[in-house]
Amino acid sequence: MSNSLSALLSATFHEPGYEHLVELVHQRDPAGRRRLTSLDLSVFDADGKLLHEHPVETGVETLDLGALLAPIAGQHGRVMAVFDARYDDIAFPYRPHHYAYLHRKGSATPALYYAVSAALGGVPDRLGNVSRLNNFDTYVFRGGPHATQYSVMLGNLGRFASAEAQVFTYYGAARVERTVALAPRAHAEVALAPEHGGQRLTRVETKSLFRLASYVVGRRKPSGDLILFDHLFTFFK
Amino acid sequence: MTTRADPAAHDAVILCYCTMLTVAELRRACASGRWPLQGKENTGKLCTGCLGDLLLCLREFGGRNVE
Repeated sequence: MSNSLSALLSATFHEPGYEHLVELVHQRDPAGRRRLTSLDLSVFDADGKLLHEHPVETGVETLDLGALLAPIAGQHGRVMAVFDARYDDIAFPYRPHHYAYLHRKGSATPALYYAVSAALGGVPDRLGNVSRLNNFDTYVFRGGPHATQYSVMLGNLGRFASAEAQVFTYYGAARVERTVALAPRAHAEVALAPEHGGQRLTRVETKSLFRLASYVVGRRKPSGDLILFDHLFTFFK
Repeated sequence: MTTRADPAAHDAVILCYCTMLTVAELRRACASGRWPLQGKENTGKLCTGCLGDLLLCLREFGGRNVE
């Protein structure tokens, strides 16, 4: 074990009525499972108010986030769950990854499996020249077989500073811009209009000064069941 | 940017999760004119997730801005 620990702050969103299982460490190797040194969970409402803190036993392979947050989400609706992981960089030379399984209880809609968004840390200092001020993320929509309402969920993991994000949606040659302001630890779901000027939604792009927790979300109409919950793709500009 | 908490009251908080810089280290470095600290020069430039907090803390602590 090395003398110093590294840290990673990841975040996801949880809504009432969903099974939500988080695989604390996705990586395995022939010798078995790697373990985090510590993991703390904290939960925030949409305004950034701390609702719950919970140290997680790192020997637990899969955390039942849905069961843990059921009473809280039942009261507050969508909450942001923040995972503060500390790890030995010998065990995780780049960074650990949390993955999660998401399924609406009782729904015939297939389960989703996604990588939890890592927003603070995990970029080793040896990569110091990869600096990119201004974060652009994008997602391209393909016409699917189901009627779907798309949105993006954004969370500010800043402890002191508010954040501003621009959300650009593209409809053919047209671009629609919206600005979202987030207090520290606040989060929002930004609905994306499915059409504009007779053209269907083809792409969404988010831009912010610093990295936010972000997901692109699709909900089946009219049930609202999640059929897409994924990270956007980062590109450099 | 705005703040809702006093950063100086959160010395133990890790400000930058990439360089493991704490609020206390930044505050002391600014007070003694030693920012950026050796080995912490890339604070705010790696994952960029802490950049908002860093800029706000530099302003609060009187340190010079990042580049």
